[in-house]
Amino acid sequence: MTARSPSMRGDLAEAASVLAIAAAFIVPWLSQNPMIYSLANQMLIAITAAFSVYIMLRMNLMTFAVPTFMAIGGYTVAILGLRHGVTDVLLLGLASFVVPALFALPLGALVLRLTGVYFVLVTFVLTEITQLLLFETPGLTGGSNGLVGMPAVTLFGLELADNRAVLQVTIGLALAGAIVTAAVTRALRQHFAAIEENELLAQSLGLVVWHYKAFGFAIAAGVSGLAGFALVNMLLTAHPTSFSALSSVNYIAYAIIGGKSSMLGPVVGGALLIWAGDLFALRGEYSQFLFGFLIVVVVLVAREGIVGTIHRLGVRVFSPPSRSSTVASSPTVSVPNAMEPLQ
Amino acid sequence: MQGFVATSLIGISLGAQYALLALGFTLIFGILGVVNFAHGGFYVLGGYLAYSAVTYLGMPYALAVLCAALGTTVLGFLFQRFMLDRVIDDHLATLMLTLGLYLMVSSGILVVFGPQSPAFSFPLTGVIHGHGFFVPIENLVVLGVCIIGILSMYGLIYYTDFGRALRALADDRAVATAQGLRPAILFPAAFALATGLAGLTGALVTPTLSLAPHIGDPVLATSFLIVILGGLGSIGGATVAAFIVGMAEAFSAVYLGGSKGALALFVLVLVMLVVKPSGLFGQRVRGA
Repeated sequence: MTARSPSMRGDLAEAASVLAIAAAFIVPWLSQNPMIYSLANQMLIAITAAFSVYIMLRMNLMTFAVPTFMAIGGYTVAILGLRHGVTDVLLLGLASFVVPALFALPLGALVLRLTGVYFVLVTFVLTEITQLLLFETPGLTGGSNGLVGMPAVTLFGLELADNRAVLQVTIGLALAGAIVTAAVTRALRQHFAAIEENELLAQSLGLVVWHYKAFGFAIAAGVSGLAGFALVNMLLTAHPTSFSALSSVNYIAYAIIGGKSSMLGPVVGGALLIWAGDLFALRGEYSQFLFGFLIVVVVLVAREGIVGTIHRLGVRVFSPPSRSSTVASSPTVSVPNAMEPLQ
Repeated sequence: MQGFVATSLIGISLGAQYALLALGFTLIFGILGVVNFAHGGFYVLGGYLAYSAVTYLGMPYALAVLCAALGTTVLGFLFQRFMLDRVIDDHLATLMLTLGLYLMVSSGILVVFGPQSPAFSFPLTGVIHGHGFFVPIENLVVLGVCIIGILSMYGLIYYTDFGRALRALADDRAVATAQGLRPAILFPAAFALATGLAGLTGALVTPTLSLAPHIGDPVLATSFLIVILGGLGSIGGATVAAFIVGMAEAFSAVYLGGSKGALALFVLVLVMLVVKPSGLFGQRVRGA
């Protein structure tokens, strides 16, 4: 276990994430329970949105803009369905990915110049603007009424209207999001790691940092858009409250609490926290207390999140007893740290 | 014209409240380099502390406001000393930590006090009639206290040893520490000062507006607007920007309606962040 290189560990985590989401197709096949369907829907949407946060964290950027791009994806689908009669799920899925990604390119040109706290602030402001814009443009977005009464999506003319079909659409979208996330973070692992480690140095060594950041931002936006489609499809409405500025906090919480150094982090974080929220669920707001508490715990004592901590403990248990000397002699076998880039 | 005067007065009193809030926010960023997502939480907490002191302990309102300010000061001190300080050099970690605290505070209040707005009203009622316009006395009192608060803050920061020490730490921590200043005490004190101001504002303002568990969200958003507009970490900038935002809000609410004014402000702030992150007045800004 200790002998594995970080990139190999990354490959494993990415494969495991994609497989875990693909395995969700069993749920609608095994169960008819609408409660389970609802839970599975929420988990998969949470995980997809958290992937978007995860992609940006590869470049050491914490984004609050996930709801912005979810809204763009979700409203694109609702407008296409309601006003233009487009119901084909593949077309809609493509649109919910491409349109937010296209929006992200000019936006990225503006905001990607900022780093650290300033990037956090600018993306927070972006979600606030999104909220206000959704309310202030009733002609396009239905304003405070939102867009309701979308036609059911179809696959090759087959209506996907019942609960089971809706869940299958969500799983499909989450799977697409997972595959895109895995492919991009795998292909650009070294580039992203260089940017995360030291952007200026990477640039001076000849990496065209701007290209990779813009590309990553657009992909993250597209993945958010897929989550937005799934959310709108589940609720059958596109409404501003689904994309509130502070909902971005939840997506960040899923990624950070799950563990930001591996793609399994958002998967585990999203699934566990939604499940825990449901367990607590007297009221949705109570789960916020749990999220807050877990964020504090992760920041103060378990930087690597759930996945990283389990991995560290696993290394400790399974490695030979002379572990301390091994660690001291070879830095590449060190305990994984969330702050380290090459994960 | 009368509408203009009345709207200006609303704008000025909003501006004073915002200034008191934003001063704390910008102080924390300027000195500790922390973006305090819990700022709105301390505002709400101040409101609920004052409400509890009045309702359950039967305190007079003025004393309750003091208690609320004191309570949020102590909590801020403890939070900085025992949690925030451990990760103080990691910007994203401090940000996450304050975010976690905010979630805990606002949902904790929800659990304890329930989602309804409690009945919490200002003890002084009545209206002063001017020449064709009128001003509620409560607004004047709040305005007065806010202005006293802002002036005391300025006095503290610019004319006392404590303030000089804080500014020295903000300027260059390594040198200031080498000169014998102690961040271990001064950092929590600065944080406590800021959260106390947020608590004070909450205790003062919530009875004239409204008190509910989630009113911290817009407060946080407004604080962001102001400190970015004024330049993160700049005290003078935050004060001026607070009055600009207060005026803009009052006039757009009266003459435009809806949230067009807020939208315009946010877009202005977005452009500001991208083009001139040092804010309206271009002071030197702490790197982040």
